[in-house]
Amino acid sequence: MNFAGRQLWGFNGLSLSSLRIWSQTIISRSYVSYASKAAPAAFKTSKWSQDGRETIKPVDSRKTFLIDSYKQLMGSNPVVLFVHYNNLTKNEDHHYRSQIKKAGGSLTMLRNNLFSVYLRNSAFADPCAPIKRRDQNLSHPLLPLFKGPTAAISFQETNPQSVARVLKILEKLQDRLFVVGAKVEADVYDINQLSQFKNLPDKPGLQSQLLGLLHILSGAGLVRTLEAGPQTLYLTLQSHHDNIGKDDEE
Amino acid sequence: MITKYFSKVVVKFNPFSKEAKTARLLLSSIPPAQRQLGTQIQNEVLSSASNKTPIIKVTFKDKKTMEVDPTKYTFQELSNYFDAHSRQLSLKETIESS
Repeated sequence: MNFAGRQLWGFNGLSLSSLRIWSQTIISRSYVSYASKAAPAAFKTSKWSQDGRETIKPVDSRKTFLIDSYKQLMGSNPVVLFVHYNNLTKNEDHHYRSQIKKAGGSLTMLRNNLFSVYLRNSAFADPCAPIKRRDQNLSHPLLPLFKGPTAAISFQETNPQSVARVLKILEKLQDRLFVVGAKVEADVYDINQLSQFKNLPDKPGLQSQLLGLLHILSGAGLVRTLEAGPQTLYLTLQSHHDNIGKDDEE
Repeated sequence: MITKYFSKVVVKFNPFSKEAKTARLLLSSIPPAQRQLGTQIQNEVLSSASNKTPIIKVTFKDKKTMEVDPTKYTFQELSNYFDAHSRQLSLKETIESS
C-alpha cells in the first residue's frame, strides 16, 4: 500500500525521514484523526510533511493513500454509481466483480469515514491536508449515502449504455448489491434520475444530434437571434455616445 | 440481532434521508447463508419524489409480523425490538426439543 501511495504522488524511495515519521505515527494515532471533531485543536501539535506535502496522517499511511485514491476515483471517472453491498460471499464477490468489469465498470469497496473526509474536503487541492472544520463542506449532497456498507462502480466514460448494462446485472442481484445513488459528471442522481439517464444516447450521439439541429436552424433565424444581442447593445451605446457628443458641442 | 427466526424481511427506504442508516444496517446484519436457507429479503429504494413511506416489516417463522418505521429508531433499538420476539421463539424451541 505504501508503495502504491508513493507511486500516486511520485515519491522516490523510502528515505530515512519517512521511517522516522512512520515510527511517530503509532504515538499520534490516539489524538488525531481525519474524522475527529477535535481535529482543529490538534492541528497545531501534529502535522506531517514530506516533500512539501502537509497531511494530518503520515504521508505514507494507508488512510492518506485511500483518500488520495478516492480523489483519483471521483476525479477521473465521470460516472460513479454508489451501491449498497450485502454480505457477499467470496464467490459472489468474484462473480459480480467480473460481470461488472465485462459491462465496462469497476467495483471498489469504500471506507465510509475516509470517503466522507474526501467529500467534505473535495473543494480543496489536497483533501488530506489539515483543513479547519468550518471550511469543510459538511452538506455535500453525497454524504448521506455513506452509512452502512457502500461500494462504488466507476465508469471511465459517460456512456449511458454501459450504465444500463450494469444496472441490468444489478437488477438480478436484488438485495445483494443495489444502487443507492450516483454521481454523473457534476450532478448527484437518485435512483429515478438514474433510470432516466440510462435511456439517453451516448455523449457523441447527443453532440451530433445537437450539431444536426444547429445545422438545420442556421438557415432560419438562429444566426440572426445570436447576432441580435450584441447588435442592440452596439446601437444603444452608439446612440448614448451621440447624445454625449451633442451635449459637449452645446 | 437474532435473525435466525425471520422468514421474510421487507425494507423500503430512501438512501438520502435519515432512515437509511437503520435500514441498511438491518439489511447487512442478515448473514448470506440465511438467504440460502429460505429467508426472503425484499428491498425497495425510494426516491424523494415517491410518496411511499419508509418501512421495515419482519415476518417470523411463527407467522407473526412486526412493522417498524425506521425514521424513528436507531438500529440498536430496532434489533432489541425484534430480539424480544426471537428470544421467545428460541425459548419455545429449547423447551420443545428437550
